[in-house]
Amino acid sequence: MAPSSVSEDERYRTSTQYRLWSFTPASLLELRTTTNRNAANRVREAVWRVREARAAASSGNTSEADGGNSRAVSAVPEGEVDCLSVEEELKLVTHFCRQTLQLGDHLQVPTDVKNWTLEQKLMALQATAVQYIKRFYITNSCMTYDPKTLLKTALFFATKTENHYFRLTKFAEAITATKPEEILASEFLLTQGLRFTFDVRHPFRALEGAVMELQAMANGQIPGGDKLRGMGRRVKEAHGKAREYLKTSALLTDVYFHYTPSQIMMASLLIADRQLISLYLGSKLPPGSANATISAKLMEALDKCAEMLQSLDEQSTADKKELGALAKKLRKCRNPEKIDLVSIQRAKREGDEEVDEKVVKKRKLEREQSAKEGEDLFGPTIKK
Amino acid sequence: MANSPLIVPGATDKGTTSKSIFISKSKLSSAAPETSTTASNALAPVQDMAEQMNEEEKHKYVKGKKLGEGTYANVYLGHLVTSPSTLVAIKKIKIQAAYTEGLAPDAIRELKHLQELSHPNIISLLSVFSSKDQNLNLVLEYLPLGDLEMLIKDTEGVRYGAADIKAWMGMLGRGVWWCHENFVLHRDIKPNNLLIAADGEVKLADFGLARSFSDPYRIMTSNVITRWYRPPELLFGAKHYSGAVDIWSVGLVFAELIIRTPYIAGDSEVQQISLICQAIGTPSEDVWPGVSKLPEYTVPEPPTPVRGKDHYLATFGTAGHEGVDVLMGMLVLDPRKRITAREILEHSWWSSDPKPTKNEDLPRKGGGGAKIGEDLKRRPGVLEDERGAKVARKLDFGGMN
Repeated sequence: MAPSSVSEDERYRTSTQYRLWSFTPASLLELRTTTNRNAANRVREAVWRVREARAAASSGNTSEADGGNSRAVSAVPEGEVDCLSVEEELKLVTHFCRQTLQLGDHLQVPTDVKNWTLEQKLMALQATAVQYIKRFYITNSCMTYDPKTLLKTALFFATKTENHYFRLTKFAEAITATKPEEILASEFLLTQGLRFTFDVRHPFRALEGAVMELQAMANGQIPGGDKLRGMGRRVKEAHGKAREYLKTSALLTDVYFHYTPSQIMMASLLIADRQLISLYLGSKLPPGSANATISAKLMEALDKCAEMLQSLDEQSTADKKELGALAKKLRKCRNPEKIDLVSIQRAKREGDEEVDEKVVKKRKLEREQSAKEGEDLFGPTIKK
Repeated sequence: MANSPLIVPGATDKGTTSKSIFISKSKLSSAAPETSTTASNALAPVQDMAEQMNEEEKHKYVKGKKLGEGTYANVYLGHLVTSPSTLVAIKKIKIQAAYTEGLAPDAIRELKHLQELSHPNIISLLSVFSSKDQNLNLVLEYLPLGDLEMLIKDTEGVRYGAADIKAWMGMLGRGVWWCHENFVLHRDIKPNNLLIAADGEVKLADFGLARSFSDPYRIMTSNVITRWYRPPELLFGAKHYSGAVDIWSVGLVFAELIIRTPYIAGDSEVQQISLICQAIGTPSEDVWPGVSKLPEYTVPEPPTPVRGKDHYLATFGTAGHEGVDVLMGMLVLDPRKRITAREILEHSWWSSDPKPTKNEDLPRKGGGGAKIGEDLKRRPGVLEDERGAKVARKLDFGGMN
């Protein structure tokens, strides 16, 4: 009757983060490429439709023109549409993820807790929101759904899933120049893009655990720390550095898609103090032939993960100029039919609510009835 | 769609979606193989990949007759398209006019946790899809044999004994252990949230109040768990707590299975505390260091000493000596000293006689589909004041953290 022992790895493999949100770099690129190509096709089609409608409207045939779409019509540029590439989309998404981290700082959270927990609170919130955005844009394109709007929705939704619930109006107030309905309009799209999985596994707790263990080694409470001089101080420094990596690079790069939270944590420590981590890993996997293969395999994975974490440092200088150009390009290739999400959402809701099954049946009967009456070439008798 | 690596089964079937206008067009496009979806076929919009995935899920299931209708959700019987004998329950969450803040927190909690927890003693979430654009449908495993509350209450029709109780408690214990092992607190364990599968397996359901273990220093609401199953720390307003809250509830389910009536059934929080004092003993600094510091700590005078084993044997003796040990471990007042889910499963009770009844030999009551409809359509996570009573359910999402 004793519980079968389930290793941490086995448990992780049951998570949606592993089952649905882990990819090889090649498969991730393939998904993003497909998404980008589909979206580009859709933009061209939508632009074509809007132009057709406009042409029809200007030729006096107003019945075909969609009156409510005037905003979209005016947004359609002339000429061939120049769509974003996969790389360009990725740069934009990264940029907006960065903004999400900054936006989260604006939120006023209740101050009934100590300051450092306040920071942790915000970190979980922002970290989850950023992962939501990154996951969403694997199967959705910036050209279809504007990341500037979606990031607010992601942040709001994260307040619900991470148990930091805000009143929507308060949230919208805290985020300048945002209307509540704008935030809600893409909430459903977001949850669909997330494939209705909301749990994100972060490496933050793992780091705290490893650091506690390292400190215990440094204090001599756990053997193995005597080989390194000034270990206590080094642990403290590595902790700080690793935290920085987890708070930014880990969130903005693709490491969550390719590595487990504990690997990400270890890699961030590895960047901070390689010698320290070698010692730590050595205490877990004592050198010897039995552990040689697994040790080598682990180090290879950690090094690759560390490399990816450090790649952000180079990208981060991605000049404002380039981003400005990308933002401008995006404005010209937005899908004109998906710009006014608030109206689309309203139309869907209003359309849905009343159509329950009985009503549908009744309408069908009425239609059939009128169809019978209408068999006469000139239609049914006019009702008086 | 030709561009997509995703196969979309049924997308060309009958126009079951509301977008029938597009369906007919995509029918045309997919009739011609190798059609590129670009300018050559400009009128058929390519769906977002997310939309395609949703369609794919939706078309795996056939929605059948309605099993139950509630304010929060309707429950339908359904089955797999590819296998009509594989039954499922489809819980369609209604859009709530009264809740204007988007997807409701209880639905979010239920989805978030059920997506992660996969265990024979936890109801399986097989799929999620949206219909008519915005209605969420949760595809759950079909559990046709009702719940433990039905069995407990039917004292005329259902007879069961110590071996049966041991089997049910084992399944409940494993389900709760798996939640805690995955850092999830259920926070609403009670007999009518324990559903029974066709093969007799007991499954923990209703995760509408569940949440992940909190970080240290993060506060949680103490307003969880139906009153009769609520542990003393929550009644005293504790904002930091652990899996021990669920274990207390498990203990009361155990007690109720034996005596076939709720063991500690107060009709107010104050009375609940007073009944706990009588049944278990009065929480004091002696037995529970720190308890008097809890925000709403008040106990009736004079204090009752903590009950000894004899007291439990008198009421719950049919569970045997070791069974009573387990029960007492679950009902320890101080949550830090309460038995854990893992310790429950490691207890020697399981290997002592009688052996737990095999699933196929467990007593059952034919509840039929109506019961799962009743159980699933309830708004998850809303605490009913009195079991079975038709009370208006309060909508309060504000403090539900």
